[in-house]
Amino acid sequence: MPETLLSVREIHTYYGDSYVLQGVSLEVAQGCIVAILGRNGMGKTTLIRSVAGLTPPREGDILFRGRSLRGRPSYAIAQEGMAIVPQGRRIFRSLSVRENLVLPTSGLARGPRSMPVDDHSRRWTLELVLQEFPQLAERINHLGGALSGGEQQMLAVGRALMANPELILMDEPSEGLAPRLVQHVEEIMRRLKARGHSVLLVEQNLALAMAVADEIHVLSSGRFVFHGTPAELAGASEILDQHLGVAATRFA
Amino acid sequence: MDRSRVTVVIVVLAAALALPFYAGPFWMGLATQIIIFGLLALSVDLLLGHTGLFSLCHASFFAVAAYTTAILQVRYGTPTVFAAPAGVLAGTLLALVFGIAVRTRGVYFILITIALGFIVWGVAYRWSSFTGGDNGVTNVPFPSIGPLAVTSHLQYYYLVLAIVMLCALGYRMLVSSPFGLGLRGIKASESRMRSLGYRTALHLYVAFVLSGALASLAGVLYVYYNRFVNPVTGSFQISVEVALMAIVGGSGTIIGPFIGSGVLLGLRNWVSSFFELHAAVMGVVFIATVLWAPDGLVGLARRLRKRRTGIRKDPA
Repeated sequence: MPETLLSVREIHTYYGDSYVLQGVSLEVAQGCIVAILGRNGMGKTTLIRSVAGLTPPREGDILFRGRSLRGRPSYAIAQEGMAIVPQGRRIFRSLSVRENLVLPTSGLARGPRSMPVDDHSRRWTLELVLQEFPQLAERINHLGGALSGGEQQMLAVGRALMANPELILMDEPSEGLAPRLVQHVEEIMRRLKARGHSVLLVEQNLALAMAVADEIHVLSSGRFVFHGTPAELAGASEILDQHLGVAATRFA
Repeated sequence: MDRSRVTVVIVVLAAALALPFYAGPFWMGLATQIIIFGLLALSVDLLLGHTGLFSLCHASFFAVAAYTTAILQVRYGTPTVFAAPAGVLAGTLLALVFGIAVRTRGVYFILITIALGFIVWGVAYRWSSFTGGDNGVTNVPFPSIGPLAVTSHLQYYYLVLAIVMLCALGYRMLVSSPFGLGLRGIKASESRMRSLGYRTALHLYVAFVLSGALASLAGVLYVYYNRFVNPVTGSFQISVEVALMAIVGGSGTIIGPFIGSGVLLGLRNWVSSFFELHAAVMGVVFIATVLWAPDGLVGLARRLRKRRTGIRKDPA
């Protein structure tokens, strides 16, 4: 049984007065991809933001490597070894591709409690990231804002990898990408897993989540209505139909 | 650095070094002033151009440094070797305190810095037993360290030029360091930088203090040039003017604040000789900049060059 990396325990998160996450629990084990599926407005992004410390939960606790993240600011959580690939990419448009990539490696972004990755074969460097994304290497001195949507997505993933995180939080990486590029995202996810990264993936793209995830949770109105393997989800026609709006026959 | 930029730097340096050979005392005085205020504008622009914080209290650091050096030199006869560093130190200490302003952002940051600036101006104006009130502190001597003494405005011009050149060099190293990159990241998106692991509030505080230290150095250079200091030195108007210099010249660049200083001080000198409402002209210059050259004169020059060469290049 692999070690538990992230453990979310009964969190309740609010946006002002609106009660978004209503008691959500999940675990991400070392080296696993856990996907959260759900339609728009069900609280998927809020879940990512809660874990990253951007919208801290009002109740409940989040443990990362067994330590509570309660009350810790987002920069400290990042320094613990968590990197986020935010929804809509959110790269630095006014900085070059190279600058975008080196930002997380700076000593200024690493705290005293940052864990060095002991295993050097797993360590990401600028060279490795550029090898992984040759298109970025070609445009290394271009401004982030001059990249296409797909390239920006690669840059966002590359930037997260440069931090050498234990856990990567991905918020809808396939959003707005052409099918061919979604395929590429899928490949990237597989390679991340092969390298031993753990990923908490939030998606609307059912096929992508089914293809890469070890476990799937389905989020509906702030609560989980399903937890199981992709195969189990494929068999749960009611969940697919009611909460994800797809005909079960597609996966039967 | 690309070739055109190297050319600009060499031309500017050569012109500055050769200036005394073709300019009279009036122009030399103006040039010294332009360089000193350019340094002050550069200090403001460390925040404005690199972090996006718009400070309107930099005249405070400038004035506190100037007052400290002046009072030590004139009233206590302290030699320059102590009085000048004490001035920089005093202004920097004030920046350490005023740095609390970085707890706020946007318009609140501007308002807090205005309020802090008025405190310093009020103290300088009202605590007349110590600051000399409206009359200020007069008869500040030329700086001298041991046998090395400045004895003329010409010598002082070269001293100022050398010090400001070193500052510009250090500034360049700072903004191209990982710290400088971090500041630009914060300017683009503070929340994104936080989720990359940057303790952004601390970065901004350090930038604020460094900026205050640079403004203090400008204040010390100013008091030895001007030979006296009064509350106007620390006034709101000065804070606004140096911010305008940075914007008019080209925020986010090194040469920009100096160009802006040259344009504003040159224009004021010229206009005030025949027009009483010269402040109104400054207003018009600022409005024109915002409308037609929002990236300042440096930005305008870049845009024209790009149009002429027809090559689309990303600004480096």
